This record gives sequence, C-alpha cells and structure tokens, in this order.
Amino acid sequence: MSAPIYFCSVVLVTAIGFWIMTLFRPTMAYPVKEWLALERRPQATTNSFYSVRIAPLFDEHCAGCHGPKRQKAKLRLDSYANVVRGGKHGPVIKAGNLHDSELFARLILPASNDRAMPPDSKPPLTADEVTVVRLWIAAGASGVQPVDQIKGAPKPLVQVKFAEINEVAVKKARAPLAVVVRKLQSRYPNVIAYESRGSADLQVNASLTNSSFGDADLSALGPLSDHIVWADLSGTAVTDASATVLATMQQLRVLRLMNTKITDATVHALVGLNKLRSLTVVGTAVSVSSAPPRIRPRAGWRRPSRTS
Amino acid sequence: MTDSKLPNDINVDQPTMADPATGLPLDFRAHLLQAHTRRHFLGTCATGLGALFLDTMTRKSFAAASTAKLAAGGEPRLDFTRDPSRPLSPLPPQFAAKARRVIYLHMAGAPSQLELFEHKPELTRFDGQDCPASFLVGKRFAFINGIPKLLGSQYPFHQAGQSGAWMSDRLPYLEQHIDDLCFIRSMHTDQFNHAPAQLLVQTGNARLGYASFGSWVTYGLGTENQNLPGFIVLLSGGKSPDGGKDLWGSGFLPSVYQGVQCRSHGEPVLYLNNPPGVSRPLRRRMLDVIEEINQQTHAEFGNPETITRIAQYEMAFRMQLNATDAMDIRRESPSVLTRYGAKPGAASFANNCLVARRLAERGVRFIQLYHWGWDSHGSSANEALNIGFANRCREVDQPTAALLADLKARGMLEDTLVVWGGEFGRTSMRENRGGTEMKFVGRDHNPSAFTIWMAGGGVKSGMNYGETDDMGYEIVKDPVEIRDLHATMLYLLGFDHRKLNFSFQGLDQKLTSVKPSRVVAEVLA
Repeated sequence: MSAPIYFCSVVLVTAIGFWIMTLFRPTMAYPVKEWLALERRPQATTNSFYSVRIAPLFDEHCAGCHGPKRQKAKLRLDSYANVVRGGKHGPVIKAGNLHDSELFARLILPASNDRAMPPDSKPPLTADEVTVVRLWIAAGASGVQPVDQIKGAPKPLVQVKFAEINEVAVKKARAPLAVVVRKLQSRYPNVIAYESRGSADLQVNASLTNSSFGDADLSALGPLSDHIVWADLSGTAVTDASATVLATMQQLRVLRLMNTKITDATVHALVGLNKLRSLTVVGTAVSVSSAPPRIRPRAGWRRPSRTS
Repeated sequence: MTDSKLPNDINVDQPTMADPATGLPLDFRAHLLQAHTRRHFLGTCATGLGALFLDTMTRKSFAAASTAKLAAGGEPRLDFTRDPSRPLSPLPPQFAAKARRVIYLHMAGAPSQLELFEHKPELTRFDGQDCPASFLVGKRFAFINGIPKLLGSQYPFHQAGQSGAWMSDRLPYLEQHIDDLCFIRSMHTDQFNHAPAQLLVQTGNARLGYASFGSWVTYGLGTENQNLPGFIVLLSGGKSPDGGKDLWGSGFLPSVYQGVQCRSHGEPVLYLNNPPGVSRPLRRRMLDVIEEINQQTHAEFGNPETITRIAQYEMAFRMQLNATDAMDIRRESPSVLTRYGAKPGAASFANNCLVARRLAERGVRFIQLYHWGWDSHGSSANEALNIGFANRCREVDQPTAALLADLKARGMLEDTLVVWGGEFGRTSMRENRGGTEMKFVGRDHNPSAFTIWMAGGGVKSGMNYGETDDMGYEIVKDPVEIRDLHATMLYLLGFDHRKLNFSFQGLDQKLTSVKPSRVVAEVLA
C-alpha cells in the first residue's frame, strides 16, 4: 500500500470515528468542532431572558452537581452553551418543545420519583421558577431574546441593597457640628445619637430622663436643630415655651410629645415643618379640632402623602 | 545572690513595700506566684489565654480611633467595641432603622396555622379520608404512624378587615387589628422537635451555644435605658419552653448581652429589694467596697469581665428602683388592666403583654414573651385542638390585641416590631399516635409550612406573603427560611445581617449563619 493511500485511509477512519463519536458523545465533540471552526459556541447576551432569569436559577438549583465542580451525567448547566448542548445523553432542552425537553420533564416530576430534579432532599424549584423555565423553553430557549419579550413571567424576587458606609463622607458631613455634638452628648448622656453610622442626622430621645429635661435643655440643643430628624420628648418638662425651638427643626420627621404640658400653641407653631410625618400628642391638652388642617394631630398620626 | 532586689530577698516582715500597680504588698504577690502550681496553670490555661485575648481586644477598643476597621479581605467591618464599664451603651445602627425595638411573642409548642390563619376548604372537603401516600414520602414525624387521616380545620373561617385576610373565629380581638398585620404564610424550618426548632428560631442554629436574636440586637445596638437590661424575657408561667434558657442565651457573645428573665409574679427579679435591716445607703456603701476590691482585681489580672461585673452590680443597684416600677402593673388604671385581661399578682401572658408595653415605653430594646401549651397533639384535653388550643387562643387573643392598640395609640407601633409565631407548623393530618385513632383531636408537627405575623416597625400592614397548597401542607409560593426572617428583622433594625457579626472560632459568626439569606423585600413597608 502506498503512503498517500495509507495516509488518506487513516484520515478517513479518524473522520468516521469522530463522526460516530459526535453521534453518541456530542459533548466531547464540541471543543474539536469549535477548534476546527466547524461550529460557533452559542453565547447568551447579557440582557437576554436567559441571562437575567434562567442563569441565576440554574446556578442556584443545578450548578452544584452540573457545574464546574461536578458534572453528573457529563451535564453542565453553568453557561448558555452547556445548557443547550446537554450532556452524556445529548441535549436536555428542545427549543419550543416542552414535551421532549428532558430537563423540564424532570423538573416537574413529583419529588418521590427517582428521576426528579433537583434530587433527594434538595429544595425543589418554586412554582414561579418552574413557570419561568417553562416559558423560556416554550419561547425557543433563546440566549438572545430580551428579558422583556417573554410575557407573563412571574416577577423575580426583589433583592434588597444595603447602603454602604462611606467613612470619609460621613466624617466630612459630621465635621461642622462634631465638637458641639460631643459636648452636648456628654452633658446629656444617651439623649443625642446619630441616626445611623452612615449619617450626620441626629435623634434626640429625652423621654428616659425622668422629666428633668425642660425648655432650657431643649434650647441648649438649638445649635443641632438643623440636623435633628427624630425627637422623643415624651414625659419631659417641655412646655409651649419650646415651640419656637421645635419650629426651627426643619428636618424633623417624627416628634413625640406624649404626656407633656404642650398645648395647641405648639402644634400651631409646627405648621412650617414640611418633613414632619408623625406627631404624637397623647396625654396632652392638644385638641384635634383646633389644629390647622395641615397638621391634624392624633394618636399615631401620619401626614397623608402629598400628591404634587 | 548579691542583688538584693531579687524576690527571694524580700523581707516578709516588711509589708509596707507595695507593688505600684496594684497596691498589694509585694510579698503577697510572691506568695501568689509560688502558690501557683503547674496544675493551676494548666487548669486555667484556656481561660488565661482567653483573658489575654480579651485584654488585647479591649485595649484595641480604647485605641480605636475610627469606627471601621479593614479586615484581611478588605471588607469594611462594623466596630462594636465599647468602654468595658458601659457594655450596653447605645450604638447607632448601620443604616437608618425602621424599628427601634422588638417585642417577640413566641408561642412555644407551635400553634396550628390551620385553626387560626390558613383557610383550606379543600382540606375540609377531604376530612376523614386517608392522606395521599405522597404526603408521607421522605417525611419524619414526631408521632404519626402508618397512614393518618386528613383533618379539616376545627373552626369556621371568615374574611376580615380591608385586606380580606382569612381568619378563624378563635382570635376575635386580634381580628380588629388584622389590617395592621403582615402574615408570612410560607415559613419553614428543618427541625421537627420543639427544642431544636425553638433554638433555630431564636438563635439561628438548632444546636446549643449560639447567641440569641435578642443578644445580637443588644450587642449591635446597646440599649437606651441604662437603668434596665436591654433584653428582657418573660414567661407566662406553666411550662418553660423546651429550648431552655439557651433561647435567650448570649452564646459566644459577651455574657452581658444575654436575656434577663424576669419573674412573672412576685418580685420581677429575685432579691431585687433590700432585705430587712439593709437600707439603700448601706447597700451603696457595700457596693462601693465591692467595687474597690474588684478594681484591685482588675488592676492585678486585667480581665475585662471584672469591669463588666462592676457594671452589672451598678445596673442591679439602679434596677432596684427602676425595674420594680417598670414591672409593677398595679400602677396601671383598672380600665387598662381590664383591656388586657391582666390580673396583678398572677403569672399570665396578659400581665406580660402589659409589662412588655411598659418596658417598651422605657426604652428596653428587646422584649421576649413566651407563651406555652400550643403543642396540640390531641394526646390529652390540654393538648386537644378543641379544648386546650381554644384556651390558649383565649389567653393570648385579648392581651395581644390590647398591646397592639396601646402601641398604636402611643405612636409606638411605627417603630416597634411585633412578631408573633411558633417554631414550626402542624400537619394537615390528624395525629394517630401508636397508629390508632386518639380520643382527642390533634395535629403532629409540620416543619414544612407555618404562619407567623409581624406588625409595626416598618413592615407592610395588611400584607399576606407566601402560600401553601390546598391542603396547607407544603409551600407552593415564596418560601421563607428562618434565616430569611432573621435577615429581614435585622434589616428593619438597621443592619445588613452579614455585617452584624462577631469573630469566634475563626469565623465571623452571624445570626443568619453562613448560608445565604434574603431580606424578604416584599414585606417591607
């Protein structure tokens, strides 16, 4: 046998072998095909329904066994290419065909079935999550279809974002009053506090001072009035004489004046406080009817949200 | 041996030579050292090393100039160190909080959601029939044997309030506040016995030794009233919760943050009043002498727990005046007592609800009430759904409603988070202990689904979150883990649950454990 014939037959046998392999073990053939530029790796776009709704769901429920660490049944569900190409037994998703999509069939099996996924005691997908997968496969299991094009998908769970504390900014915001705050804090222990670690706003709670706190003390807090957002003066000795000081606290959102000697006069003076949304005057002589309509105090009163 | 300054040469007849640091005679110190054998050393090795560690920690607290430190990973950490003599001093939350305090009403024994809040007509339709086999696969029950029968609700349901939430006829007083409540109908747990399930709810872990919710909150926020403990626990009398005192323990957190259990009748704290013949000034002098001795001990050993102990004595002295006042419901008007159904002198949930309101007014951070007897298995009259359960409902209904009404009237519901719930749910099947039909009607434990409600403190009112199947057996929508509930409550109190942590055993310990938790954003107002 001549060398060229020998060479050609080796190539032919290899090609046939490769072709047979692609039939039985498609996952093994994909890298070769990509290398030979016979096929392009499927990619999902970032705003696609897949990337936004499906990928996080597979990551949470499936990628533990079908992901970078373990590849049970040679199946990986951690990228769009892996999802559509499937595993040892070929594709697990048939675009637009729920009936022939092995992946979906197993998701909806009762937990008691051996073939149900996720298996054993692992938390199953919620009804909403199954719906999301169903809609996506029915719509063609696309990696590029934008997220808002599949209608009727249940809303995803809202993730709360936690505010980060910017140390430098907080220090800067607190700086102008820092000395006064510290001085007043040591004069009135546990009465003045920052609203949070990330804020320069202040809270005043004099309700635990056993009524030794009076008008003179409140006016001593005058320099802070622009920063006071919350004040509880319940049970203190403050009177209507404090009305003018209170009226300067433009940032005030909550004011509690329970069991004090204040009267309607103080409530009238508070009309200009635009941010005030809660005023408690239980146990005072304040009458609801006499107050101007903008501020109608009652127990647990809330200012109705403004329409403009 | 010519150097006369060596300890051996100290003249024992000259006790005037004193150690400048402690003021103790030097020879006394030498004796102490000699008395300290290898056995002593090894015996106290662990605590000694612990003290060294704590010492360095507290030194840091004095030196700490900035409030945040950078950990190895570069993640900014929140600083919770305080002056050791004021361990409960208030600290601002991480971000602006919706809730300033918590009143947690724990119904120990796990009340049946199917007799109170979960309206399941399908279950009633199948009442008395064998439960489907699929209900039993992979499940563990405390008592159910073989194939139990389905059990419909024992009480009629109706819709109430603007929100139209379904409720049984068992809680008519609470029903008046139904539009203030936020129901989570899809709570679930992985524990099916009371003690571990209660521990999981209260400490975030089913095993002993973890810090309770109240401890975490007092550790993170301190307390506003320095004359009262920041975390107070009240029991209704009767049986104590199965989880025991660990439910309000501080675990690995410093012991000052543990819950203080106050007695529900008689003196709130035993021996709080001075015994006959001891006046308040005498008590003061006594404490001053004890403090002097403790200060010496601290100067000698430098253990911050000594300073904590001094602080505790001082708090107890202040509490003599304040706690008696706070816990004395006789100071309330008869009409208030009637509204709560409270009877001074008795031990009851009603009394405790009234005390809870008084403590909340006084700035106590975390108030924990335990009621008992909700374990309605049907094994006795007191555990029967149609007898004992009905009594439990009567015991909690009126005072819970009165507490909500009072908080609302005082404008306090907006910054007080009230939580009501048990440690798991109850089965849709009738319990058949020993495989036979029991004399009384009851349900077994069901960790797969239960209902709790929250009110005030920044939660959405008139809200229903989560859903169970038609049989009220499994969750079908929006499941909420215990740690999700914790993360949500901490969020309302102004914390990212990952940032409220404490380094222990090489791990940043958290209430929500190492598993991912989610703030249930849908229930936030």
